Amino acid sequence: MSWAAALALLDVPLSSVFTGWIDYIGANWDQFLTLLRGHLVMVGIGELLAILIAVPAGILATRDPRLARIIENLGAVAQTIPALGVIALTFTFLGLGKRPTILAITIYALFPILKNTVAGIQNVEEADVRAGRGMGMTNVQRLRRIELPLALPVIFAGIRTSTVLCVGVAYIGVFVGAGGLGTWIQAGLTTVNYDVMLAGAIPGALTVIAFDRGFSVLEGMVTPEGVSRDTTEGGAAA
Amino acid sequence: MYPPLTILGDTLTWLVENQQSVIEQTIQHLNVSLTSVGIALVLWVPLGLFLHEHDEFAPPVIGTAGMILTLPSLALLPLLIPIVGIGVAPAVVALVLYSALPMIRNTYTGLEEVDESMVRAGRGLGMTDRELLFKVKIPMALPVIFAGIRQAAVLVIGITTIAAFFGAGGLGESIFAGIRLDFPRQVLGATIVVSVIAIATDYGLLAVQRALPGGSEAT
Amino acid sequence: MIELDNVRKVYGDGTVAVDDVSLEVPEGETVTLVGPSGCGKTTTMTMVNRLTEITEGDVRIDGESIQDTDVIDLRRNIGYVIQEIGLFEHMTIAENISIVPDLRGWDEERKQERVEELLELIQLPQDVKTQYPANLSGGQRQRVGVARAMAAEPDIILMDEPFGALDPITRDELQDEFLDIQQKLDTTIMFVTHDIDEALKMGDRVAVLRDGELVQYDAPKDLLGSPKNEFVANFIGEDRVLKQLSAVTVREVMNAPQVGEGAGENPLSPDDSLKVALQRIFQQGDPLPVVEDGEVVGQVSEADIQAVTDRRTSEVLQ
Repeated sequence: MSWAAALALLDVPLSSVFTGWIDYIGANWDQFLTLLRGHLVMVGIGELLAILIAVPAGILATRDPRLARIIENLGAVAQTIPALGVIALTFTFLGLGKRPTILAITIYALFPILKNTVAGIQNVEEADVRAGRGMGMTNVQRLRRIELPLALPVIFAGIRTSTVLCVGVAYIGVFVGAGGLGTWIQAGLTTVNYDVMLAGAIPGALTVIAFDRGFSVLEGMVTPEGVSRDTTEGGAAA
Repeated sequence: MYPPLTILGDTLTWLVENQQSVIEQTIQHLNVSLTSVGIALVLWVPLGLFLHEHDEFAPPVIGTAGMILTLPSLALLPLLIPIVGIGVAPAVVALVLYSALPMIRNTYTGLEEVDESMVRAGRGLGMTDRELLFKVKIPMALPVIFAGIRQAAVLVIGITTIAAFFGAGGLGESIFAGIRLDFPRQVLGATIVVSVIAIATDYGLLAVQRALPGGSEAT
Repeated sequence: MIELDNVRKVYGDGTVAVDDVSLEVPEGETVTLVGPSGCGKTTTMTMVNRLTEITEGDVRIDGESIQDTDVIDLRRNIGYVIQEIGLFEHMTIAENISIVPDLRGWDEERKQERVEELLELIQLPQDVKTQYPANLSGGQRQRVGVARAMAAEPDIILMDEPFGALDPITRDELQDEFLDIQQKLDTTIMFVTHDIDEALKMGDRVAVLRDGELVQYDAPKDLLGSPKNEFVANFIGEDRVLKQLSAVTVREVMNAPQVGEGAGENPLSPDDSLKVALQRIFQQGDPLPVVEDGEVVGQVSEADIQAVTDRRTSEVLQ
């Protein structure tokens, strides 16, 4: 079935899919900017907190293999908790607004970064580490000069994955009154107005694609010369 | 604010008192999730096989699947509604699309990474391309392929929660209702059940993989 | 018998891997292909089972061109052993060994019998049958690799540096075992190696290749005795004379015994190498009697041995 035929069946004017939502954004430009800004602020703060917690925690974990294994297992379980559930739970502690969503984003972003930090450092060749030790580097010097620079691309890949993931989590924030682009999706659905729904959906989809590409470029920039880039996992939907 | 132990007790009480609807929603949830995983399996694993035979298509296909996976579910589902309507259909379509990356990528890389020496030995001993694929490559790639299926299943079970907002049913309904009514025990109860389903499915698939011939030996 | 008839292999980018090589591998003999890396030895060998397709020329097996045989049938009738072994890690040892019989549709009982027979031949205990390759040592794995190649009783086996990845002691052991097996079986074998000592030890004939061309094709002692040019002489190495002594037996140089000579305390056997003979002469005196089945059949002196190396060395230096 072609798009046009399908839309005719559903009695949706074809124009709405292609232009209706743009018109709607144009007509509500100020609100759009507010929603987009709110969305990005939540992602930005949540992600920043996650990085500040996960990177040091990951480094710490690589100093102790038991801790690394615990984190790996916790990460596997965390993956199974639906984002909606996490938001709903933070909401019960923090009430309505952006704060529960930010907390949920932080929690959700934590594990991809943690996992990649641990993997990135653990993947540094044993020989490089031993060479560093042989040269008389202290633990801190070794971390700063060898392990972290070599692990950075992998850590960055984790940040990329989690950021993309969190744009999705921020959408869900609408259910606990966080605003963001989810607002128009909820509004569109309750009023059965596809233009509004798509006006909320498409900018978000474009945002993740932009983030994904942007981070991919950054990842290339932090990769030390002479190190081949890891083909890292793409993002994960929320 | 609730002390944690009280919450857990309340949650258990809620689960027991509402077991009827919890079971119903669990079945709905599994129905949507597993249907999607099943359809995805039939589509994406063969596509991965195809990419193994035709390498040149791998980067664009896997790249596209990766892009789809980054799309927020709350953004993708509305995009599908004008096309397939509301309810279970857009949910299944979205979930099948989300499964594409883990399944295609793992099938493809699993097959590509089969030790070259085994392939050469097999060919040298007179295996046809078909025999090589079914007797050597697929069995060797199976753990990786299965890992992709498991990843997809866990992902799908989580996202199905959101699909409830668009009328797909399942445990998401309880969570949404819990938020509306500000009823934490219901939110926590349903969330735990979703996680348990995801973990159980993950382990269930792992068990299936191990039960397959040679499954426990090849790593 | 395998006949390579002016075979050439030119790759798409114009690289000539094998240039106009002709050689015959007589029935039941082992021919080793040896040369530095990139000399085309593996390419030459894999043209026989068509893992490499020939650009020009022809390969015939028992007079029949391999181009006229179905490629799958061809390969199922030729054993193939590679350095990386390439055992199927998801199959048991028994399944690995019986893969070609399985592909050919042998029944279960016949396959089982064959597996047991082969395990005995390669000196592995029967209980490895149900184990997986990961449980075996490198030497055991390569024994299985050899058994797998022999499973369907092929007339020809191709071996691509089969012992190259093993430690020196295990390699030596496997070489000796394989020589024993080969004596019992009379299979026609092409054996690729980069190790000249292995080539001399394993081959009834040795083909030395360089830059895709066949430089010399001779029996080990002729190769040692009269290397065709400086490349071959250098490839054989500084210790050529010693290797030569190892390759020539007492029987080939001994003289008629002096009348009335006794066997002495520690006589030589005609099958001893000249290397052994020379060592004994240094220890026990010159000349030494040669005894076979309790009877003195000849004698060998240091001068006899010297004559062999002199003759051959002078031939090279010309």
